[in-house]
Amino acid sequence: MKKVNKAAIASLVLTLTTGVLLTGCGNNGDKNAAASHAPEDNNAPKEKVVLDFWTFWGSETRRPLIEKIIDDFNKAHEGKIEVKHSYYPYGDIWTKALAQTAAGNPPDVIVNSIEEAGLRAAKKQNTNLAEFLAKDPDVKDRFREDLWNTVLYKDDPYALPFTTDTRMMFYNKTAFKEAGLDPDKFPATWDELEQVAMKLDKKDAKGKYTQIGYAPQFAGFDAKSIAVNFDGGNGWLDDNGKANISTPNKIEGFNYVQRYTDRLGQKTIDEFKAAFGSKEANPFIAGKVAIWPDAVTFATQIRDFGKGMDVGIAPIPETKPGAGHWSAGGGFVVEIPAGAKHPAESWEFIKYLTDTAAQTYWAKMNYDNVANVQASNDPELIKDPIYKASVDNLTNTRVYPRPAAAADLFKMLDPQVDAILQKKVTPQEGLDQAQKDISDLIAQNGG
Amino acid sequence: MSLERKDALWGYVFVLPWIVGFLVFTFGPLLFSLYASFTNYDITSQMDWVGIRNYRNMFTHDSLFWKSLHNTLYYVLFNVPLTTFAALLLAVTMNQKIPGMRIFRTVFYLPSVLAGVAVFYLWMMLLNPSTGLVNMALGWVGIDGPAWMTDPNWTKPAVILMKLWGAGGGMLLYLAALQGVPEHLYEAAELDGASPIRRFWHVTVPMITPVIFFELVTNLIGAFQIFQEGYVMVQDQSTPGSPMNSLLFFNLHMFLKAFQSFQMGYATAMAWFLFIVVIVLTLINMALSKLWVHYEGGDNR
Repeated sequence: MKKVNKAAIASLVLTLTTGVLLTGCGNNGDKNAAASHAPEDNNAPKEKVVLDFWTFWGSETRRPLIEKIIDDFNKAHEGKIEVKHSYYPYGDIWTKALAQTAAGNPPDVIVNSIEEAGLRAAKKQNTNLAEFLAKDPDVKDRFREDLWNTVLYKDDPYALPFTTDTRMMFYNKTAFKEAGLDPDKFPATWDELEQVAMKLDKKDAKGKYTQIGYAPQFAGFDAKSIAVNFDGGNGWLDDNGKANISTPNKIEGFNYVQRYTDRLGQKTIDEFKAAFGSKEANPFIAGKVAIWPDAVTFATQIRDFGKGMDVGIAPIPETKPGAGHWSAGGGFVVEIPAGAKHPAESWEFIKYLTDTAAQTYWAKMNYDNVANVQASNDPELIKDPIYKASVDNLTNTRVYPRPAAAADLFKMLDPQVDAILQKKVTPQEGLDQAQKDISDLIAQNGG
Repeated sequence: MSLERKDALWGYVFVLPWIVGFLVFTFGPLLFSLYASFTNYDITSQMDWVGIRNYRNMFTHDSLFWKSLHNTLYYVLFNVPLTTFAALLLAVTMNQKIPGMRIFRTVFYLPSVLAGVAVFYLWMMLLNPSTGLVNMALGWVGIDGPAWMTDPNWTKPAVILMKLWGAGGGMLLYLAALQGVPEHLYEAAELDGASPIRRFWHVTVPMITPVIFFELVTNLIGAFQIFQEGYVMVQDQSTPGSPMNSLLFFNLHMFLKAFQSFQMGYATAMAWFLFIVVIVLTLINMALSKLWVHYEGGDNR
């Protein structure tokens, strides 16, 4: 029995020590990693600081661009700051960063959505940049005012805007000519657009649609955006953060969308939608849909996959002359997650990312609308008529921030919108319900 | 110390690493989430005690909670009996002694081996209303198939249909059980003049009830955990659960609450609610099993 016990004890000790070692290693590993990452920490400030920069730009077009920008920064800060690029897929990146932030080991700089910069600030997920801005007050003047406002929380900035975007109407000039329309004149109002759209519809011998002129159900300016356009560009929340949903103008916007559903039939719309592809099979590029609202970066798709297409671009229509060609935009900011170890160096880096040189390069190579006003008005860039049109369109474009109290806004609104579009409820009923749900939500969250 | 107690002690000492592992990595987080469900925990900025507010809001202020619960129950109600039955049917068919049966078994088991998201994309193609194989086949018999994944009335049936495809996993268990049914029982029944259907109902089914029971319990628990389908099989990737939240399953709603609205406290309260529902259903299942599950080895199992 004694022998057995000895063996037992031996193996037990082995198991336990392995366990301890493994868990111990885990901890030490972390410390070591952190240490080797930044051995210089506070005690040796002269040594090089390594920053971990997270983006979701991993595609073959975007990755080389951001890495070139990083490279230039690294060369200019040789021996002082070195930025490392980490790519994580879109969506995953923020869940992962959130977990790392909660665990006290966040990335140094991250690209995140512009609409929720204030929400993240309220949740203490990013770093207050006020003290850095106080030293570099000019940085603020780089950006359009409404973009700058999106990064403020209680009057302090928590991020710097990097890119923005805007939606416009792309149209197929060849299809316009075939239908006997003037290819250089795009309808200015929604009613005119509907007339033009009908002329662009094509059916086969059996009466099935082979080409649809325009349907609001497709592409990048959806029924919700149309409703906001109809409502003079006023979003789903008013300036005080209260629900602003069931307004007569927004209801009118949905009525407009339903005119298309009635004319084309839900089934036609569904079938068209289900067959949509990307690249060459994009319905606009493939000639299935003649008018296609989308973010202006869609122009790169046409450039790459729609060789030889004759395409025009025009602002989003308005309800009546003078009502405003309101468009919606989004974008991304660069920010320093809360608890990051080198905020001063990170500030240097995000300042550089939003400065004219880096922004001009990004805009040129990517066709993106950048946040830096000087960069987006670069003389060489605005030689391109489409890019120029997009920059001009920014004055009609609004970005709608989502505050903490209404974080679930669209989860409440979207099903009502779906129900309206599927004609299960009237626009009035659906929006009234959403108004009630979202007011309740905001009240629950103390907004 | 007696020898027996000494041995028992050594036994415990040996399983200690796993007990510690369970306490630290499973039971600890479980308790933490129970505590978090009574707070306004948002992962980064706050964790204040709010009493039962999360639970109260869940029942009185969150229409999506009921919607997602309804979606999940709908799925469970159809999915569990259908897959259990389909797997059993498949196993009985695959239990015939004819040449080439191994190939058929492999073919039917294959879908259970394929990885999740790829299968979802495959099915989104199959269910395409105009070009998909499913509607094409329905067209041959004169049925004008629905817009499966875009019509909110058809999204859940579409997912249930897709899940039936994976019945091969359950089939394997039934097949093993079927082969364990002693031949002499069939012979005796046959001598007594029992028809094949009666032989199936009175010999086969009772003999494999433990496996049916096992399948039922695990399928039920698995079905309540449905999540990915609503997250991935949507027309618009930016609105999980669409159209009209028809695929907003309970766990999906919970996930979105936790990681998009940062209401982790609320999400943990939802998790505990689901946990209790599943526990209660499983206990009922266990209690009912005494009435119909037959264990060959005796009653004290």
